[in-house]
Amino acid sequence: MPASTTHVAHHFESLEKQTHAARLGMWLFLATEVLLFTALFAAYAVYRYLYSPTFAEASRSLTTWIGAVNTLVLVTSSLTVAMGLNAVMQGKPRRTAVLFGVSVLLALVFLGFKYVEYSHHFQTGELPGKYYHGEVQGAGASLFYTLYFLITGLHGIHVVIGMCVLAVVGTLSWMGRFGAEYHTPVELAGLYWHLVDLIWIFVFPLIYLI
Amino acid sequence: MAETDSESHFEEERLHHSHAGRYVWVWAALMILTGLTYWLSRFHFPGGWAVTVALVIASAKGTLVALFFMHLWDQRGANRLVFVTSLVFVALLVGLTIADNATRFPLANPPGSLGGWPASSMPQGGMPPAGEAR
Repeated sequence: MPASTTHVAHHFESLEKQTHAARLGMWLFLATEVLLFTALFAAYAVYRYLYSPTFAEASRSLTTWIGAVNTLVLVTSSLTVAMGLNAVMQGKPRRTAVLFGVSVLLALVFLGFKYVEYSHHFQTGELPGKYYHGEVQGAGASLFYTLYFLITGLHGIHVVIGMCVLAVVGTLSWMGRFGAEYHTPVELAGLYWHLVDLIWIFVFPLIYLI
Repeated sequence: MAETDSESHFEEERLHHSHAGRYVWVWAALMILTGLTYWLSRFHFPGGWAVTVALVIASAKGTLVALFFMHLWDQRGANRLVFVTSLVFVALLVGLTIADNATRFPLANPPGSLGGWPASSMPQGGMPPAGEAR
């Protein structure tokens, strides 16, 4: 197998073992990402418990349908990423590049909706911390928007990073660097993108729905 | 790392078998569940039920993504163990922090002393008034 020998680093016995090691390393990284977001979710949970009525009112003032549409957009981009991995496994790396390109476009749609939301918040004074001068009053209102911007902002940064990773891996795939034999970067980029989707699946109900 | 025959065979099969149909079904389920949770959020459930319903649906969606899009369904134990361990710490971090805040009460020192209730607010021979608890 020529393809498998060229991609194996000298300290691995076989391509299969190298792939397992890479996958496990990625999962360890994803676990740290989960814990990074969990710190923010825990803060959100505490303040939502302490200031339930204000948090519920502030949550209702968000545009729920934008959050729902963004969920559908991200879920669909996850499908195209999964299909992209499927394509390269079938020996069609160019199809992978196209599917990853579609995912990047969907991520841009997601960020576009976030831009609409953020500019609305800036206009109505729904800002974090001491800059808050929005409509919802009472203790905890500015805390809601502090946590809102922290959580959606950190997630947004992850969307941007994921877009870059998908663009790079998609380009390399188009250039024929991956195929049915070797496609570990395609798989790991996909894992990262699915995690970004997974986190949004929890952000959406926590911030918009309850 | 011990490699069993069945695992190698399984990995081999993954290389050639298309998962496209499975991905589409999972995607359809995720779309339907997103619509469902959006629709259900319009009803005002009493108490903590709105949170419960929203989080149960989110967990179902998250499980679908982790198992099928992220391939935990057909990968070996180590990756599953790492992910499940991270979820255990999520439960500990969120659960214990909430439990801490939910069970706080003013220190039970004698009324008027440091850490106790002001002497005047203590009702005759009993617990402090509930309204003072926060």
